[in-house]
Amino acid sequence: MTAEVLLQGIVSGLLMGFVYALIAAGLSLIFGLMEIVNFAHGEFLMLAMFSTYWAWALWRLDPVVSLPLTAAALFLLGFATYHGLIRWVLGAPMLAQIFATFGLAIFLRSAAQAIWGVDFHLVKDPLVQGRISLGGIFIGLPQLVASVGALLAFVFLNWFISRTETGLALQATAQDRQAASLMGINTERMFALGWGIGAACVGVAGALLTIFFYVFPDVGSTFALLAYVTVALGGFGNVPGTLVAGVVVGLIEVLGGLLIAPALKYVAVFVLYLLVVLWRPQGLFGRF
Amino acid sequence: MDSSTVGHAKWPRRLTFTAGLVALALLLAFPLVFTLPYPRDVMIRIFLYAMLATAWNVLAGYCGQISLGHAVFFGTGAYTSTVLVKTLGLTPWAGMLAGAALAVALSQVIGYPVLRLRGHYFAIATIAVGEIVQTLMINWDWVGGARGLFIPIDRTGSLLAFQFRDKQVYYYIALGLLLLALWVTRRIERSRTGYYFRAIREDQDAAASLGIPVARYKQRAMAVSAALTALGGTFYAQYILFIDPESVLPLSLSILICLIAVLGGVGTLWGPLIGAAILVPLGEATRIYLGGTGKAIDLLIYGFLIMVISVIQPGGIMALAQRGRRRTG
Amino acid sequence: MRRAIGLLSLALVALSPWAPAQAQAPKEVVIGILYPLSGPVAQVGIDSVNAVKMAVEIINNGGSTLNLPLGKTAGLPGLGGAKIRLVIVDHQGKPDVGQAEAERLITQEKVHALYGAYFSSVTATASQVAERYGMPYLNAESSSPGLTERGFKWFFRTSPHDGHFSVAMFDFMKDLEKRRGVKIKTLGIMHEDTLFGVDSAKVQEELAKKYGYEVVIKMAYRAKTTSLDAEVGKLKAANPDVFLPTSYTSDAFIFVKTAKNLDYNPKMLMAQNAGWTDPSFLTEMGKDAEGHITRAPFALDMADKKPMIKPINELFKKLKDNPGGRDISDVPARAFTGFIVLADAINRAKSVNPEEIRKALAATNMPPEQLIMPWSGVKFDEKGQNTGVRAILQQVQKGKYATIYPFELAAADVVYPLTPWKDRK
Repeated sequence: MTAEVLLQGIVSGLLMGFVYALIAAGLSLIFGLMEIVNFAHGEFLMLAMFSTYWAWALWRLDPVVSLPLTAAALFLLGFATYHGLIRWVLGAPMLAQIFATFGLAIFLRSAAQAIWGVDFHLVKDPLVQGRISLGGIFIGLPQLVASVGALLAFVFLNWFISRTETGLALQATAQDRQAASLMGINTERMFALGWGIGAACVGVAGALLTIFFYVFPDVGSTFALLAYVTVALGGFGNVPGTLVAGVVVGLIEVLGGLLIAPALKYVAVFVLYLLVVLWRPQGLFGRF
Repeated sequence: MDSSTVGHAKWPRRLTFTAGLVALALLLAFPLVFTLPYPRDVMIRIFLYAMLATAWNVLAGYCGQISLGHAVFFGTGAYTSTVLVKTLGLTPWAGMLAGAALAVALSQVIGYPVLRLRGHYFAIATIAVGEIVQTLMINWDWVGGARGLFIPIDRTGSLLAFQFRDKQVYYYIALGLLLLALWVTRRIERSRTGYYFRAIREDQDAAASLGIPVARYKQRAMAVSAALTALGGTFYAQYILFIDPESVLPLSLSILICLIAVLGGVGTLWGPLIGAAILVPLGEATRIYLGGTGKAIDLLIYGFLIMVISVIQPGGIMALAQRGRRRTG
Repeated sequence: MRRAIGLLSLALVALSPWAPAQAQAPKEVVIGILYPLSGPVAQVGIDSVNAVKMAVEIINNGGSTLNLPLGKTAGLPGLGGAKIRLVIVDHQGKPDVGQAEAERLITQEKVHALYGAYFSSVTATASQVAERYGMPYLNAESSSPGLTERGFKWFFRTSPHDGHFSVAMFDFMKDLEKRRGVKIKTLGIMHEDTLFGVDSAKVQEELAKKYGYEVVIKMAYRAKTTSLDAEVGKLKAANPDVFLPTSYTSDAFIFVKTAKNLDYNPKMLMAQNAGWTDPSFLTEMGKDAEGHITRAPFALDMADKKPMIKPINELFKKLKDNPGGRDISDVPARAFTGFIVLADAINRAKSVNPEEIRKALAATNMPPEQLIMPWSGVKFDEKGQNTGVRAILQQVQKGKYATIYPFELAAADVVYPLTPWKDRK
C-alpha cells in the first residue's frame, strides 16, 4: 500500500463523509426534538433523489439548480409526515413509533417502484463534472461540490438553530416540551417544523448525491443503515456531533477497505461504532 | 396487569382453559383435514414465525430491550445444526440443542456490552451486530460463505434425520416448538423473574434502586430469547434444506420478527401468535394475488396497513381484545 | 360438512388461494413461472415474464412466419391444439418462498412443468421440490455451475453457466495475444459477495491458473455498497493488465463512476454480464461505458447471421407490458428461448404426463436455425445441461453492444487497449 493510495483514500473518505453527515443530520435533528427515529429516512433520501432526477429529465434542470426545489419538496414531505402520521403516535410506546416509520418506509419504497418502475437512472452531463488532480491525488468535482454543499448546509443549520428565534424555540421544545409550551411556544408547530427541516436536510443531501450517484427505489436503504450508525455515533440530537461522526464513518469505510479487506469495510464501521458506544453509551457528543 | 391475576370469577378461567383445549384439538386435527402441502406450509410458517416472535417478546416485550438483530440467533441455530450434520453426521436434534447452547453463549457475549445501552442506542447496536455477523458469515468459506449450505437429503424417514417426505411431521414439530415457547413465556410471566423483567422495562433506574440486579436479569432475558430463536433456526434449516446468510441472517428477518410481535401486541403471551396468524397469511395472499404484476402493490398495501395499525392501535391487536374485555366485563 | 370445512379453511388462512383442484382440462397445458418481481432486480423478472408471455402468444395464436417450432400452428398440435396457460408467481428472491411456491404450483395449481427462477439460490430450492415430486423443471438463466452437478433427473438448463462464460473470456485473451501480439500477464478479479459473484470469481481464479495468468488481486465487496473508493484504490495499486469484475447493476454504476473519478485505467475490462448488460446500463452510462467488454449469451447485432432476432425484437418492443419499448436483452432472450424449448418438448411428448415430458426434454435436439441464440443448438447431456451453448463476448462500441468474440461470429473488431479517461471526449 503506497502512501499515495492511502492519501487518495483519505481524501475520498472525507468527501463521502460530509455527504453521510448531511444525510444523518436530519435524522439527528428530529430525534433531538422528540426522541423518534425515522426509519423511513432512507426513503426520504430516495424521494429527494428522484425529485432531482425528474427535474432534470423533464425540465433539464441541473441538480445544483433544482436543489432549492428539492429541499422545499422534502420540507413539505416532512411536514406532511408529521401531521399525517407522527402526530398520532407521539404518545405511543417506542415500538409503535418505530413501526409507524417502518410502515412508511415500505410504503414509500413500493410506491416509488409502482410509479417509476425499477430502472436505474443517472443524471447525464451534470453542470458539475470532471475532476481536479493535486499531485496525483484526484478529487471528483461532483464529490467536492457535494461536500462543500453539505458543509454549507451544516453551517446554515447550526446558525438557524442557535441564532434565530425559531431555532431557539426549537431548542427549547427539545429540552422541555412542557416548559416551552408554558412559554407560549406552539410545540405542535415546532415539531412539524422540525420534521420539515429534517426532511429538507435530506432533500439537500439527495440533490447533491444525485450529481454522481444512481437513482433507484431501493437506493435509500443502502445509505439509511450508515445514517443510523452515524447519528448514534455522534450522539442522538447533536447536530455538530453528526458532522464529526459522518466524517469518521466515511474515513473508516475507506481505510477499512484499504487496510483490512473491501468485503469487511462495513464491519470495520460497525465495530468502531460498537467500541465507541461501549466507551460512551450516548455516542461521541450525545447527552442523556 | 394481566386480567387473569386480578381475581376474576372462576368460570372465565375455566372457559379459557376449555377454549384452549378446543383450539389445540383443532390445530392437531388440521393436517388430517387439509392434506394438500400448501395450507400445511402456511400453518407451519405461522407456527415458526409465531415462535420466533414469542422468543423475541421475552426480551423486548417483557424486559423492554428492543432488539433488531435477532436474526443472529436464528442463523446460529440454522448454521450450528447444519454444520454438525455435514461434518459429524450428528442428528439435527442434537444439533438443535447445540445451536441453542451456542446462541445462549453468543447472547451473553453480545449482551454483556450491548445491554448497557438504552432505548434507540440499544436497537441500533443490535442492528450493527446483525450486520457484522451477516458479513462475517458471507466471507467465511468454511461454512459455505455466500454460497450457503445444502443439507444432505436423507429420505430414510428416520425421525433422527429430521427430514420428512410428509409435511405433517414438520407441522407437529413446529406446533410443538411454538407450544414450548409459549409455555416458557407463561412460566416466566408468572415467576419472580417475570416481575423483575417488567420492572426493568417500566423503569430501569427504579428497578435498580429496588435492588433488582438489572444487568443480570437483562442477560437472562437475552439468553432465553436467544435459545428459543435458535431452535426455530434449526427447524428452518431442516425444513428448507438450504441456508445462506441472505436467507437466515438478514436485517429484514429481524424486523419481520418484531413486526409480528408488535402487530399482535408486545408483552402479552398471545400477541406474537395473533400477529403471525394475521401477517403470514396476509403476506402470502397479497404476494400471490398482487405480486405477479411486478408493481410491488403487495408491499404497498402491507406498508400502509402497518402504518394504520400503529396509529389506530399502538398496543397491537391484543390491546384491542383486552379493551373489549374490559368494556364487557 | 365439506363446505363448512372449506369455509373454515378460508377463515383460518385468510385469502390464500387453494382453488379446488380443477379437473384436468385436456385443452390446456399449465406451466408455473417463478421470477423475482419485486425488489432491486424486479426489472429483470418483469422483462423475462414478458418474453415468456410473448412466446406463449406465438405458440397459442399460431400463424407466425418465423422459423420457430410451434409458431405456425395454433396451440400444441401434439396435444390436439391444446393452449398453454401460465401461472406467474413472485418469489421475491427468497429461497424459502421459491420452495413454497414451487410446491403450491405443483400440488394446487396442478402445473405440468416448472420454469424459472433467475436467482441461482431460488432455482436450487425450487428445483429440489420439482425433483421430489417428479416434475420437469427447466431453467434458462441461472448461471451457478453447481445446479447441474447435483445429479437431478428432472432438472434441465438451456443456458450457459459461469464455467462456459469464463472459458470464453480466457480463450479470448489467449486468442487476442496470438492475433494482435499483445501481452497479457496479470489479472484482477473483483466480485460482489453473493452466490453469483463468489462462484464466478472462483471459476475465474481456477481458469487463470490453467491458462497461466497471474491473479494479482482478487477481492469481494458488499453488493449493497455506497462507494467503491477503497476498491478502486486497491485496483490502481495492483494495476492488473485485465480487470474482471462481476457486478450487479447498482455496483456496476458506482464502479464506472469511481473509476472515472479516480482515473483508473485498466487495458481491458471484461465483465460477467449482469450489471454490464442491464438495459439501463448503456442508456444511462452513455459514453462512460465505451470500450467495456462483457460476456453475453445473446447479441442483437448478430441479426444478419440470425435472421429471427430482428422480428422477435420488434415483437418484444411492441408488448403492452413493455411501455418503454426497450430492446430484448440478454436475460429475456434466454427466457424466451428456454420456454420455446420446454413447449416444444411438451408438444413432442404428446402428453402432460411428467415422465413423458421429461423423456421428450432429454431427447431435445433443436437446430441452431430455430434459435435466436448464437448456440450450435439445444441438446441436453445426462446432467441436464445444454451442450450446444456458446458464450460470446461483446464490447461497447459507439454506444452499442458489438459482438467481438468468437472471431467467426464477430460483428466488429476489438478495441484494445481501453482508451484512458483523460483521452475520452
